[in-house]
Amino acid sequence: MNGNFIWLAIGQIFDPTVAAYALATIGLVIHFGFTGLLNFGQAGFMAVGGYAFAITSVIYDWPLWGSFLAAIVAATVFALILGIPTLRLRADYLSIVTIAAAEIIRLSVKTPEFSDVTGGSEGINGAARAFNDVNPLPDGRFGLMGTPLVYNQDQWWIRIVGWGLVALACLLVFLLMRSPWGRVIMGIREDEDAVRSLGKNVFSYKIQALILGGVLGGLAGVVFILPRSLQPDNYGTQLTFFLYTIMLLGGAATVFGPVVGSIIFWVTLSLTDGLLSLGIEAGVLPLTTTQTGPIRFIVVGVALMLLVIFRPQGIFGKKKDLHFA
Amino acid sequence: MLAGIRPGQSARLIAMLIASVVLCLSVVLGGSALGASAAETTASTSTATEQSILVWVRTDADKVGVANVSVTVEGEGGTETGVTGADGKAVVPVSEPGTYSVTIDEDALPAETGYPRPSTNPAEVEVFAGNTEVPAIFFLSPDNAKGAVAAPTDESTTTPTPGASDEAGTGTTTAPVTADTFWLRFWPQLVTGLIFGLLIALAAIGASLIYGTTGLNNFAHGELVTFGALMAYLFSGIIGLPAIIAIPAAMILGGLFGWAQDAGIWRPLRKRGLGLIPMMIVTIGLSLALRYVFVLLFGPDRLTLPNSTKPFLVIGSVSLKFTDVAGAVIAIVVILGVALVLTKTKIGKAMRAVSDNRALASASGINVERVIRVVWVGSGALAALAGVYVGYYQSLRWDTGASILLLIFAAITLGGLGSAYGALVGAVIIGLIMNLSTLWIPENLKFVAPLVLMIIILLVRPQGILGRKERVG
Repeated sequence: MNGNFIWLAIGQIFDPTVAAYALATIGLVIHFGFTGLLNFGQAGFMAVGGYAFAITSVIYDWPLWGSFLAAIVAATVFALILGIPTLRLRADYLSIVTIAAAEIIRLSVKTPEFSDVTGGSEGINGAARAFNDVNPLPDGRFGLMGTPLVYNQDQWWIRIVGWGLVALACLLVFLLMRSPWGRVIMGIREDEDAVRSLGKNVFSYKIQALILGGVLGGLAGVVFILPRSLQPDNYGTQLTFFLYTIMLLGGAATVFGPVVGSIIFWVTLSLTDGLLSLGIEAGVLPLTTTQTGPIRFIVVGVALMLLVIFRPQGIFGKKKDLHFA
Repeated sequence: MLAGIRPGQSARLIAMLIASVVLCLSVVLGGSALGASAAETTASTSTATEQSILVWVRTDADKVGVANVSVTVEGEGGTETGVTGADGKAVVPVSEPGTYSVTIDEDALPAETGYPRPSTNPAEVEVFAGNTEVPAIFFLSPDNAKGAVAAPTDESTTTPTPGASDEAGTGTTTAPVTADTFWLRFWPQLVTGLIFGLLIALAAIGASLIYGTTGLNNFAHGELVTFGALMAYLFSGIIGLPAIIAIPAAMILGGLFGWAQDAGIWRPLRKRGLGLIPMMIVTIGLSLALRYVFVLLFGPDRLTLPNSTKPFLVIGSVSLKFTDVAGAVIAIVVILGVALVLTKTKIGKAMRAVSDNRALASASGINVERVIRVVWVGSGALAALAGVYVGYYQSLRWDTGASILLLIFAAITLGGLGSAYGALVGAVIIGLIMNLSTLWIPENLKFVAPLVLMIIILLVRPQGILGRKERVG
């Protein structure tokens, strides 16, 4: 370990995983930041999207567009199943139902009985094949302006598509929140009864917001699995908690907050790891290398607490958008 | 606003509570007796062994079964041998429940498939009464040396992901259910379910009281449970104190932990006027941080409390360890104690008053902050006891509490948010559903059944089973 870890940290800025987290957080921002829905099951939406994509492309050999469509449809259906019964209940009920539903998904796909389709606890490998087949980039390894950040054609392809999707999602949210539709859902966040008294169907708007954010979560699940294999245990409750940290870091009711939050989250994780390893190698820190993993997550947990307490609007948020404090 | 009961109802409720505990006990005892007769009838009609171990030899690389490997199973029921078939599996019947050591013959293995992972041959397998096809899986790889022992793998040490192993379970694969085997499997599951329900109840009552008095959904409640389990491990596993000292010590430290959390975090935040949803997100942050502090201090591996796996009470197909029985008795006594405190003492009545209507309680001279402090201390101690109990019941790890957190939530939602008695009823139902569901659905899905039930209950009766009807929408 040497100065390379700094390049590793900088590389996080383009990383497809960071893009996936940003995309999922944009979905969460629609739910929590703009509509005020307490969705603790975003990991479930990612799992549903990821599995729908991987199952249709690897096991049933669907074309690429079919798999993407399957991920979108699956996330929509999941949102309807969750939303229709629970959106009429109080906010904290939705949180418990969504977190439970996400765990139900994770435990169900893990079970060996369904492993013909879901791969059981081993997950599914090779979902990126159809995706890489349409890669227009020439074969080879390309560096970024002479830096040590060199990736091959497939690694560049997923980075371009992943961040392209993030940019599209940002644009969509930016436009939506300036539309009449956006004003209604922000109204629901501020005062549901006031919106209802204006003759709006609050329930229908909430369902629409849940579906929209859920579909972004599902697409994030696809971007998440393309550079790696699909593992059911990646979709635990912890993933949702990380997304909340990212959202609150950038600002819960902002368009670009999730992008910046996700980059800061991952760069910080990467830097802490590098610095800790450096300190251990130099003999400055009385730790072993296996202990750096836990320390990073202690930092995440403490950061989440401090953010909510001292800067709940996040880096970009405005105090007036702060419905939940 | 939500909690429990109006004072006039207290006598009726305590009677109800005692009745339900008596009912549980009688179900257990009666059930065991019936189980006994069922066991006798099967024993007389067939001589087949009730237990078996499924040995499965596979290659690490492509998970293909390896045929013609001889397998030896040694343990209480004597020594049995078998040979793996074309799919790499061999089912070895064993006559007695207990711990078995499963060995595969490494000399007979073809060199190209390689040898088992280090320290996995022989494998220890625990077989309980009525368990069939308890898995013992060996992965072979040419990378492994023959007869290799040592080198704890670093798979799980870098960044452990939670929930990886607890739910996976080491359970049985569902055997074809016939009338005889159904009841043979029913009674042990019923008893295990009741015991597990009591365990969840200890933690759920505390979580419910915290919700009732402060409105907080405490996502860090699982860490109170883990803390208790780890303290018990510290005192009895590392220092070597007897359980009778280690368990109360863990409870006292758990209470202190609850006190420290309230004094250090929650009271200052309440004073700042932080809303309930941000406060809930703070509990999530705390839960993440504490979880990994536990990894840092105690390591990522599974820990076990000194415990004897010998059956202590065997009635028919139900076989219980000493700690199962003692734990159940202690849990019932503690729960009755909590009920007495809630109904008969001044502080208990104050707790219920605060849960019912905080402003009114405060106006009538109750020191609300003091009541909340007591609730946190009590919840910490109860959760710690639950943790100790989980440690004895299976094993413990840094994420033990986190893995039962959703079950705790399911229990308090099922019973009616904020009601202590509801939490008890909900927890027992959760325990029963979880274990009885394995009679029909795969063992791996047993965590799913109570969560599905919770969602269904929320749809038809959002206030929970014992919750008072109010506007929840």
